[in-house]
Amino acid sequence: MEAAFSRITMTAASAMLLLALVVLWRRHAGAYITAFRTQSIALAVTGAVVASYGGASELFFVSFMILVVKGWIVPSVLSGMDAKRQSARELRPLLNTETSLLVSGALAVAAYEISRPLAEVMNLPTRGGLPIALALVFVSLFIVVSRREVIAQIVGFLMLENGIALLALLGAYGVPLIVELGVFLDVLLGVLVMQAVVYQIHDTSAD
Amino acid sequence: MDLMVVLALLTPPFAAGVLALGVRRAPARVAWLNVLTMPISLVAAGAIAVRLATGGTPVVVGEVWRIDALSALLAVLIASVATLAVALGPGTAREEHSQAAEIRTFRIYVNLFAFTMLVAVSTVNLGLMWVAIEATTVTSALLIPLHRTKASVDASWKYLLIGSVGIALAFTGTVLAYVDVAATGVDINVALHWTALREAATALHPQVARLAFVFLLVGFGTKAGLAPTHTWLPDAHSEAPSPLSAMMSGVLLAVALYAVARWKVIVDVAVGSVFTDSLLIVVGLATLAVGSLSLLSQTHFKRLLAFSSIEHMGLACFGLALGPLGTFAALLHLTGHALAKSTTFLLSGRVLHRFGSGTISATRGLLATAPKTAVLIAAGMFALGGLPPFGLFLSEILIVKAGWAAGHPLLTTAVLILLLIAFGSLLVQLHRMLFGEPPTGIAQGERASGAVLLLSVPVVLLAWLGLSIPAPLQMLLSKAVMVIRP
Repeated sequence: MEAAFSRITMTAASAMLLLALVVLWRRHAGAYITAFRTQSIALAVTGAVVASYGGASELFFVSFMILVVKGWIVPSVLSGMDAKRQSARELRPLLNTETSLLVSGALAVAAYEISRPLAEVMNLPTRGGLPIALALVFVSLFIVVSRREVIAQIVGFLMLENGIALLALLGAYGVPLIVELGVFLDVLLGVLVMQAVVYQIHDTSAD
Repeated sequence: MDLMVVLALLTPPFAAGVLALGVRRAPARVAWLNVLTMPISLVAAGAIAVRLATGGTPVVVGEVWRIDALSALLAVLIASVATLAVALGPGTAREEHSQAAEIRTFRIYVNLFAFTMLVAVSTVNLGLMWVAIEATTVTSALLIPLHRTKASVDASWKYLLIGSVGIALAFTGTVLAYVDVAATGVDINVALHWTALREAATALHPQVARLAFVFLLVGFGTKAGLAPTHTWLPDAHSEAPSPLSAMMSGVLLAVALYAVARWKVIVDVAVGSVFTDSLLIVVGLATLAVGSLSLLSQTHFKRLLAFSSIEHMGLACFGLALGPLGTFAALLHLTGHALAKSTTFLLSGRVLHRFGSGTISATRGLLATAPKTAVLIAAGMFALGGLPPFGLFLSEILIVKAGWAAGHPLLTTAVLILLLIAFGSLLVQLHRMLFGEPPTGIAQGERASGAVLLLSVPVVLLAWLGLSIPAPLQMLLSKAVMVIRP
């Protein structure tokens, strides 16, 4: 039972990391948003699995919130922004795809190295996924600094948030509910404010 | 009793923000009402500070709120600067005629911004502290482009993105520490409470604690304007409306540094203070160098002030690493900086309004055109340069002394040289502004006004701070030092 639990969370975490790589390799905002939505759903599923196996019933609620906020509302806001931008043009990153993927590989290795002491202190069956969560944090950070398009930068930031949520989920079955709720509120308001500023950027550039 | 004080501290800005949001008509009346509400927070913060300075226990309400001496110091600073900002912002400033929509936007966000900062320093839960600091970005970013220009919108985006990502890294650090402490078997509902964390910190895995602190320092350091992630600061602080610049520079940076100090206490229990001290010294020196060496080449007054903020944050960060004396000096420095920088930023708004331009070369002859503003700016700049009798002179001397005592003679000499460079640069820039032939078509002379009177208050306080630290403040600072260096 525990082995299966461990394997399921590992698989979900790996899927989330792969979905981050999509942003480095595809060049359309629509693909970024789909990748983020799928990643959020994978996070919600991980949360639900941890909730049922780990006996942390609060997490069912948190998973539901993840599904609603990050799987539905935030991607819809992003799609709206992309539609308003009305461009199907290719998004040109600062680094080419090959280099980006190589850097991501290096970051994943670094994440494994750095998170070694973490695995030592923990005895939860989910600890195997911690390096992957940290790798997701690093790769998302890399997305933010290496992309020029605002949509890619926002998606990178949101994936960074997903990476931290995964880290908390696998490392300690989630942070306390009150903090979790605050984080949801911040993410939601943050995205709305980002949307407002991006619209202002378009307005002032058009003048 | 404790509940009443906390309510008096936190409710006024929140209620005023919601009021401004809800009431679309008569924004000027809302603005004037706001001038009455913010001092309530200031009085509450002052009452808490006095209680703690005179040996009282921390204010505790439920599982969420706990205000000790360190929190109280920050709360007083936040409420003071916010009071100045709401009194001199759009809607009440007699010189400016702002549009109704601008007044409303300003009143909504400036109050919520003050509220999120007050929450950040009043909560015992380090997770909620993070939530509140992240929320400061959300509540202030939309206010930067109040007068919508391409530069201000771009500055807002840069601030929003770098601030959000930086603060996300701080959350990574928070979660790492939480994962570690949860594994030691502490009740996870209180595992992020600062007091519980401090108790449990001896059981933290040293390597995990170090790793967490690196993330926390980079993350909150980004918000505090520490190098190398300070790049958003000069744009955001110079493009924001002056009252917001005053709050961002005067207290938001201090709040972010406060978060670093809170976590430093935990990590110090786990691994000893050498690790965090060394990091703070390196980062502090680099930041001080970036700020100090950029001052002379600035052509905009507000950018000059922004780089001066970077310089002062670097120095405060350096001070925090230097034992109890350095910590005392750093906190005194943050106090003086909050007063001096908020005043100079608010004065920059007056200059901007008078000359219609923020470039230093366009504001020549300030002394002749607006003598009262000019004198106050000169006093503020002298204070920022570290000239006696102002408070920052005293704190800078103390930091240098602490650096020597802590056995860093070379680094302290470098700090001293950088401070001299900063002083010289500010003096040269000030000279450029005060004297010379004013541009044609600028109105001459200046009446005494409520704004001038209000802005002389912090200048007088600064001078007082430099001559002798008032006994209650001395006590409060000592108690706050005990929090960081038990």
